[in-house]
Amino acid sequence: MSDSTVIATKNLNLWYNEKHALQDITMEIEKKKTTALIGPSGCGKSTLLRCFNRMNDLISHVKITGELLLDKEDMLCNGMDVVALRKRVGMVFQRPNPFPKSIYENVAYGPRVHGISDRKVLDEIVERSLRHAALWEEVRDRLNDSALGLSGGQQQRLCIARTLAVEPEVILMDEPCSALDPIATAKIENLIEMLKEYYTVIIVTHNMQQAARVSDYTGFMYLGKLIEFDKTTTIFEHPKEDLTENYITGRFG
Amino acid sequence: MFRDGYSIFETVGTLNFLFGTIWAPAASVPSYGIAALIIGTILVTLGAMVFAVPLSLGCAIYISELASPRVKNILKPATELLAGIPSVVYGFFGMIVLSNFIRVAFNIPSGQTWLAGSILLGIMALPTIISVSEDAISSVPREYREGSLATGATRWQTISRVIVPAALSGIAAAVILGIGRAIGETMAVIMVTGNAAIIPNPIWNVLSSVRTLTGTLGIEMGDVPIGSEHYHALFGVAVVLLLITLIINLSAVAILSHLSDGKTAGRSRRPWLDIPALAPVREKLRPYSGTILIALIALLSLTIGLWEGAIVIILAAVIWHYGRERLSRHSIERVAFGCVVAAAVIVLAILAIILGYIIINGLPAISWDFLTQSPTNLGRGGGIFPAIVGTLYLVAGAILIALPLGVGAAVYLVEYTREGRITKVIRTGVDLLNGTPSIVFGLFGFAFLVIFLNVGVSLIAGMITLALMVLPTVIRTTEEALKNIPQSLREGSLALGATKWQTIKNVVLPPAVPGIVTGAILSIGRAAGETAPIMFTAVVFSTRFLPTSLFQPVMALPYHLFILSTNVPGSSANKYGTALVLLMLVVAFYAVAILIRNHYAKKARG
Repeated sequence: MSDSTVIATKNLNLWYNEKHALQDITMEIEKKKTTALIGPSGCGKSTLLRCFNRMNDLISHVKITGELLLDKEDMLCNGMDVVALRKRVGMVFQRPNPFPKSIYENVAYGPRVHGISDRKVLDEIVERSLRHAALWEEVRDRLNDSALGLSGGQQQRLCIARTLAVEPEVILMDEPCSALDPIATAKIENLIEMLKEYYTVIIVTHNMQQAARVSDYTGFMYLGKLIEFDKTTTIFEHPKEDLTENYITGRFG
Repeated sequence: MFRDGYSIFETVGTLNFLFGTIWAPAASVPSYGIAALIIGTILVTLGAMVFAVPLSLGCAIYISELASPRVKNILKPATELLAGIPSVVYGFFGMIVLSNFIRVAFNIPSGQTWLAGSILLGIMALPTIISVSEDAISSVPREYREGSLATGATRWQTISRVIVPAALSGIAAAVILGIGRAIGETMAVIMVTGNAAIIPNPIWNVLSSVRTLTGTLGIEMGDVPIGSEHYHALFGVAVVLLLITLIINLSAVAILSHLSDGKTAGRSRRPWLDIPALAPVREKLRPYSGTILIALIALLSLTIGLWEGAIVIILAAVIWHYGRERLSRHSIERVAFGCVVAAAVIVLAILAIILGYIIINGLPAISWDFLTQSPTNLGRGGGIFPAIVGTLYLVAGAILIALPLGVGAAVYLVEYTREGRITKVIRTGVDLLNGTPSIVFGLFGFAFLVIFLNVGVSLIAGMITLALMVLPTVIRTTEEALKNIPQSLREGSLALGATKWQTIKNVVLPPAVPGIVTGAILSIGRAAGETAPIMFTAVVFSTRFLPTSLFQPVMALPYHLFILSTNVPGSSANKYGTALVLLMLVVAFYAVAILIRNHYAKKARG
C-alpha cells in the first residue's frame, strides 16, 4: 500500500442477514483524487460506500469480515471510535437532508458538536464552508432563514458545506445528484472538480457520463463483486472485462 | 352548560366567585369562592408535570432511539397498557398504597395530599406523553439522523441537537395533552388529594391537602338539588374548568401552528422579536440566554419564598456549566443514556408495581360465583356480574356510535375537503373536545340527556356520553392514519381510472386500518375505565337485575369500585376483586386490539 492511498480494503465481505452483499472487495483509493463507483442498482456500491464511514452500523444484522484501512488504521476493530472516524470521513446523501434549522446552524452544526462554541470562529467556518460549496453568494443575506426554504440543488450544496465544515479527509457522496435537475447537477459536478484539490472524494453514481466527467478512477461493481477498478479513462476506453464493456456501452442483460 | 352556570356569576358576582377563597356551600351562610379550587387544580397539575415530563421524555427517547426491536416490542405495549389502566384503579391504588406510603414516609396524619395527587396524576399522564412524543421522535426522518452522524456527532448529540428539536412540536403537543389529561382527571384526584378546599400554606407545601375543580364536581354533583343555587354554582365551576382547558388547548394549537410555520419559513417570521433597535442588545445577550433563564427561574422561586429551591437550581446550573467543559462528549453520552435508561426502567417498574399489587391482592377474591352472582350486602358479599355486563354494554354502545361517526368525519376531513378555514375550525373544535375533562362530559350528559331530554339515568345516556367523549380520539387517530398514506398512492389509483370512493375504499383505507384500530383501542380503554361521565348519567350502585332496555340504568365496574373503596367499609376482598376484574377486562381489550393492529401492520408490509 503506497503513501498516496487513503482508504484500502482487502477481501472485504458483508452480509445483510443471509444476503452476501459485498464479496471479496479489494481496492485502494488514492488521496486527493475522485473515485467513482458505478454499476446497476443493487450491486452493492452504496453498501460499500457506507462501509467507509461505518454507516452500516445503523442497520442491524450486518456482518462484515476482511480488512478496511483508513490511513493504515484498521477501521473494523472493536476499539475504533466510530464518531471520530466519521469526523474524518464525511458523507453527502442521495436526497438533500438539511436539518430543520437555519442555514447558519446547519453548517455550524458539525463544528459545534465537536466543541467549538466561539461565535467568531463559527462565523469564519460557516463562511468558508459555504464559499467552498459555492453557495455563499446565494445565501449570505439570509443565513438565519430556514434551510428548508432553499431549492433542492441549494440544499444539496448546503449539505456539502455542512460536511466541509468538519474538515474531513474523505468525502463520500451517495448519488448526490439523483434528486436534482441538470443545472443543479452541473453545479455540483463543478464543485466536485474543485473539491479534489483539498479532499479525497468517493462518489457513487448511476450516471456513467457523470462518472466519466468527474472521476480520476472508476470501479465497476456487479452483484456484490468489484469487477474492475482502474483509471477512469482506461475503464471507459479500454475495459478489460466484457461485463464492464457491456455495461458502459449500454448492452446489458 | 353556560345556561346553567350563568346564574351563579350573577348571584355571587364574578369576582367573588373567581377569587373568593372560601368554598362552603353547605354552611348556613353558603359561600361560593373557587380560588382555592383553581389553585388546587393548577398546583396538582404542575406537580404532575414536574414528575411526568422528564420521565416520559426519557422513556420516549429510549423506546425510539436506543431500544433494540425486541425491547421495543415489550415497552411500547407496556406503556399502552399503562394508559389502559382505568383512572379509578389508579385512584384505588393511590388511596391504599401511595397515600399510605406518604403518610408513613413523612410522618403526617393523612397521606391524602397534593404530593400524592401529583404523583398519581403524573403516572396517569405518562402513557399519553410517552406515546405521543415517541411517535413524534420516531417520525423524524432517518436522513436527519444519518446527516448528523456523518458529521461525526455522537448519538446523544444527534438526539439532543437534531432529533428532539425536529420533534419539538410533537413533544409540545404531547406535554399539553398530558396536562389536559391531568387537569381533567376526576376520580383518582378525589381518591387521593384529601379534598380540603384550602390553599396550601406555605404555597409549596406539597403535604397539604388540596381540592381540584374536577374533584368538587365529582363529589358534590351527585347529591345536589337540581335548580338550587349550589347546583348552579357547580355548573359555574364546570364552566371555569372548561375555560381553563380551552385556554390550554388553544395556546397549544397556537404553539403548534407557530412551530410548523417556523419550520418552513425560518426565524424571520417572528416579527415581534425583530425590533431593530433591540437587535444589538439581543446579539449581546444571546450567549447568556441560558444563564438569564436560570436566574429568572431562581428569582421566581425566591419570590414565593422557596429559597432552598433557588439554591438548588443555581447549584445545578453551575455544576452543569463547569461539568460540561470537563467531561468528554463520550462521558456525557454515557451519563445521558444512563438517565434515559433509568427513566424507562422506572416506568416499567411503576407498571409492574401497580399490576402486581392488584393481581396479588385481587386473585384470592376471584371465583366463579364472584363473576356470575349479583352483589349482596352493599357489595361486601356476592359477586359483580351485573357490573361486568353493564360495562360491556356501555362500551359496546359507545364504540358503535363513535366509530362510524368518527371514521366518517375523518375521511371527510382528509379526503373530501380542501385544507382551509372550515377544516381548521373543525379540527380546532375536535382538539378542544379532546381536551375537555371527562367530568364535563358527564355534566353535559346529565344536564342535556338526563334532565333536558328526560331520558333519565339510563344505559343509552351513558352510551351517548361515552361516545361523545371518545369521538375526538377516533377522529384524530383516523385522520393521522389517513394523512400518512402517501399522496402518490391516491394519484396512482386515480390515474388508473378509479373513482374517488373506489380509491378511498381500496387504496387509502386498508393501509390506514392499523391506525384506525389504534384509535379504537384507546377509545375502548378509555370508555371501559371511565367513571366520571357515567356516574351521573347511567349507573346505579346496586341492582340485582340486568337491564332489559336501553332506558334502564346499569351497574358498571369502575363506579362499583369507586363506591366500594370510598363509601363501603369492610368490603376489602371484593374491592380488590373488582379492581382486578376491571383491569383484566381492559387489558383483554387492549391485548386483542394490539394483536389486530400488529397483524395488519405485518400484512401491510407484505
